[in-house]
Amino acid sequence: MTQTLQTPAPLGDEPATVGPRRRSDRGPSTPPWLYAVMAVGLFLVVIPFLWMVISSFKPEAEVRAVPPTWWPETVTTENYRQLFTKLDFPRYFLNSAIVAVAVAVGNMVFCSMLGYALAKLDFPGKRLVFAVVLGTLMVPGVVTFVPLFVLTTNIGLTNTLPGMILPFLAGPFGVFLMRQFVMSLPDELIQAARVDGAGELRIFFSIILPLCGPAVATLGVLTFLTSWNNFLWPLVVATSEDKYTLPVALALYAVGQNATKYGLLLAGSVVVVLPVLAVFLMLQRHIMQGIASTGIK
Amino acid sequence: MSVTATESRRERPAQDSRPPKSRHVDPTRRSQAVAAWVLALPFCLLFLVFTAGPVLASLGMSFTDMRSTDVRSPLGVEFVGLENYADLLSDPVFRKVTFNTLIYLLLGVPLTMASALAVAVALNRVTRLRGFFRVGYYLPVVTSIVAVSVVWKFLLRDEGGLLNAMIGWFGIDGPGWLDSTTLALPSLVAMSVWRNFGTMMVIFLAGLQTIPREIVEAAEADGANAWGRFRHITLPMLRPTLLFGAVITSIGYLQFFEEAFVMTKGGPLDSTKSVTFFTYEQFGFGNYAYASAAAYLLFLAIVLMTLAQFRLLREKD
Amino acid sequence: MNRTASALAALAVTSLVLTSCGRDDAGGGGEAQSTEVAEGAATGTIEVWAMGTEGDELQEFSADFVKDNPDAEVKVTAIPWDAAHNKIANAIASGETPDVSLIGTTWMGEFAEAGGLMPTPEGLVDEADFFPGAWGSTEVGGTSYGVPWYVETRVLYYRKDMAEKAGWSKAPETWEELHQFATDMKEKGGADYGLSLQPGQTGSWQSVLPFAWSNGASITNEEGTEYTIDSPEMAEALDYYTSYFDEGLSPSRLLDPGELESGFADGTYAAFISGPWHTGLVEEAGLSTDEYAVAPLPGKDSGPGTSFVGGGDLAVFSDSDNTDAAWKYVQWLSEAETQQRFYDVVGDLPAVKAAWETGELAEDPQLQVFGTQLETTEAPPAVPTWEQVAATIDTLVEQASKGDAEPEDVVKEMQTKASSIGTGL
Repeated sequence: MTQTLQTPAPLGDEPATVGPRRRSDRGPSTPPWLYAVMAVGLFLVVIPFLWMVISSFKPEAEVRAVPPTWWPETVTTENYRQLFTKLDFPRYFLNSAIVAVAVAVGNMVFCSMLGYALAKLDFPGKRLVFAVVLGTLMVPGVVTFVPLFVLTTNIGLTNTLPGMILPFLAGPFGVFLMRQFVMSLPDELIQAARVDGAGELRIFFSIILPLCGPAVATLGVLTFLTSWNNFLWPLVVATSEDKYTLPVALALYAVGQNATKYGLLLAGSVVVVLPVLAVFLMLQRHIMQGIASTGIK
Repeated sequence: MSVTATESRRERPAQDSRPPKSRHVDPTRRSQAVAAWVLALPFCLLFLVFTAGPVLASLGMSFTDMRSTDVRSPLGVEFVGLENYADLLSDPVFRKVTFNTLIYLLLGVPLTMASALAVAVALNRVTRLRGFFRVGYYLPVVTSIVAVSVVWKFLLRDEGGLLNAMIGWFGIDGPGWLDSTTLALPSLVAMSVWRNFGTMMVIFLAGLQTIPREIVEAAEADGANAWGRFRHITLPMLRPTLLFGAVITSIGYLQFFEEAFVMTKGGPLDSTKSVTFFTYEQFGFGNYAYASAAAYLLFLAIVLMTLAQFRLLREKD
Repeated sequence: MNRTASALAALAVTSLVLTSCGRDDAGGGGEAQSTEVAEGAATGTIEVWAMGTEGDELQEFSADFVKDNPDAEVKVTAIPWDAAHNKIANAIASGETPDVSLIGTTWMGEFAEAGGLMPTPEGLVDEADFFPGAWGSTEVGGTSYGVPWYVETRVLYYRKDMAEKAGWSKAPETWEELHQFATDMKEKGGADYGLSLQPGQTGSWQSVLPFAWSNGASITNEEGTEYTIDSPEMAEALDYYTSYFDEGLSPSRLLDPGELESGFADGTYAAFISGPWHTGLVEEAGLSTDEYAVAPLPGKDSGPGTSFVGGGDLAVFSDSDNTDAAWKYVQWLSEAETQQRFYDVVGDLPAVKAAWETGELAEDPQLQVFGTQLETTEAPPAVPTWEQVAATIDTLVEQASKGDAEPEDVVKEMQTKASSIGTGL
């Protein structure tokens, strides 16, 4: 579905260096003023994030105070206590994780397959497939929502985790990304394999796919993030609370008919963002190492 | 980003210098086609069921008079042809949001690209703490929109706002940024640039890694200064990445919504309402057909713009 | 590819529409009430959707119902308010609904007209037991599609201590008094603004319409088939409303979340109009009941004025397969005793008048103000296009508040736009 990626998706660390590697990581020495500028800039950029973390330890009235306070006048863990006592945390976490991991893996597998075909293989209908896939990337998700839900109901997927996974398992964004990446791989590699008598599918699985590691990992991070934060679709598909995902459960307690509990919402946001940051940090390193070990010159 | 670095260079041969078509079927071509379809099949099946179907249904919807009250009997709606589209073009609110969206696009894309590029180039020069800076500059992308909106509202407040306090040091009485019909939209652009440059930064950073050190060193030996190196080496080598960034960022700004939703609700006096905002609103009102038509007009605009960008920024070799 | 694609797409599209047939007159005006529910205890599973705190507490609360109806089982799913409208709309679209749901009062028109809700059975409850404004929210085109569950209404919040300083020992009761009150609060009471009103934008119709209703204006005709916004009463009310912005008695920009309470506590705003949830927020911001008070809305010439009534209704879906038990459950929830106990558990104001006669609801002076105001309220028209017309009103109120247009012209514009939208019935 296009709605997963309608905003410019965070692209993470792009699979970069396929061209010649740097001889050394030591560039020209960094002028000290640059560090100063970067540090100031960094401060401006992380303030809201810090405010989010700090404010999650404030009582509700202080979070709502206008003008806002920076440092809590009263430090409390009440928001977190409420969050963990009200929410059946392990269950929602598990649901979220299953859905996000499945969506990420699905996109990694299916999008790289089609991406390779579009980039390197010649077949009838190729340009049409690409145009259609790219076109749907540009359709705002809001208008396809109702038809998609009616469809999901008619094939009996409401209130199931597959109902939350399947519609997002094959996204146009991933195909675009993978096609672009594979295009930059040298044709000679494939030609050589063909001369050696390797079948087309074998070329993909044993030559191309290992080289796509960084791109596939990037795609994994991206789709994991989007799926993890997805709110509306899991809410509409789940008809019993035991199928709720983390953002849905969080909204249940934080957003009221006429008033919102901001403290709870911030504490929830902190908790929700932590696994995402962990995955990002973990895979970021993996992506860099992946490139280093491909060894293409 | 080398993903796109070789894009057009390779795309053209694929179209132009294809081996001359022969009447009899070439075995390699056949096995390629078979393999391609085997690889494409899983995606295409999922795509046809879960994406193409709903997209076509919503496109069809835009030619009818369907409202949310018709959901239980969608066959009963009337076919109205292009009426929704015609109505949209003469709807003063739609014209206004189209104009606003254009401004978002014109202001937001260059600013986002420029700041992302600046930070990326700076990060590329930094040798220590690089990972630390990279994560830090990426944080706005993952910060909860609730926290972002609270802090930015405080920043932009008329009385007691941080920005006006700073302007006040120079003796200037700052305006209510979000309460002004002329300043609210640029303020939202600033916020959106802040929120989104991290994404592009990471892409550009990756793109910068592909520029061979040797070329830069050669230029340095020739006595080119930093600006000259940026202008004559970095920018041209980065062109494909810039193209990719421009396309993705433009799609983002044409679908501008979230910032306006949390900060101004489209006000004051609709001055920050975007086309996507309009679409959401119409959808919420239950005007499914009208909302779909608006979405497909926007779709058309995005397609045209993407095509134009591909032409303009195509790599010259 | 091309042919396969279109074939599959066609298949998908057809599967969407095969479940139904033609735009018949399902739902909406003139439907007969459902036949009476059968005697005897409820049986089978009753699936219930409820939002927020209500949803959170309802499962446990329903234990008493199950005790009286041992063959019945109540299964409550709590839904976030955020996007609840979307979820219910999608459920109706696909026919996969629960049996009962809490429905926001302003959604009734849309869901009933869509044919998603079942008309209330004859004799299930007595209309006279409910606050009239609340009952009005269930009636779409003259047919009732549910039962009011809980209510909220808007009253005047003001700083008692500042009022005394300004020479007011009681709350204003007429428009003229309110205007004087706001002026005095600003000039003598020490407030920056005498009364904070919403200057247009989302939901401002809820503050404007009470003034219009108090002045005798009505938004639609009796049958709900036509908008009747353009009237001298409406124009006069809007003129009165915008005078607060013109004279600087009310801030003319939209306040941020939390700003109103903070400003009320520090004396920036001496008064505002809002619902019962604000007592908690105001007290959290540091005010005690000695420092602030609530009062019914002032009327045009005598109090109380007509206020807005909101809250939630209980409705049974047409696609429910256990309608009999579902209605019995709704009936149980609207008994005075149940309503009173639900107030004790959740704090929602009961829609049934009898529930206010004993206990805390009868004794607490603050609650009594809400109780009094509830006698004189109106609900917005329960028509499918209301949300859109309301948004139009919001935009135009904003123009009038900013002084960009004359109230009289604004009201004409509201009428023109509303007429072209139509009520949708």
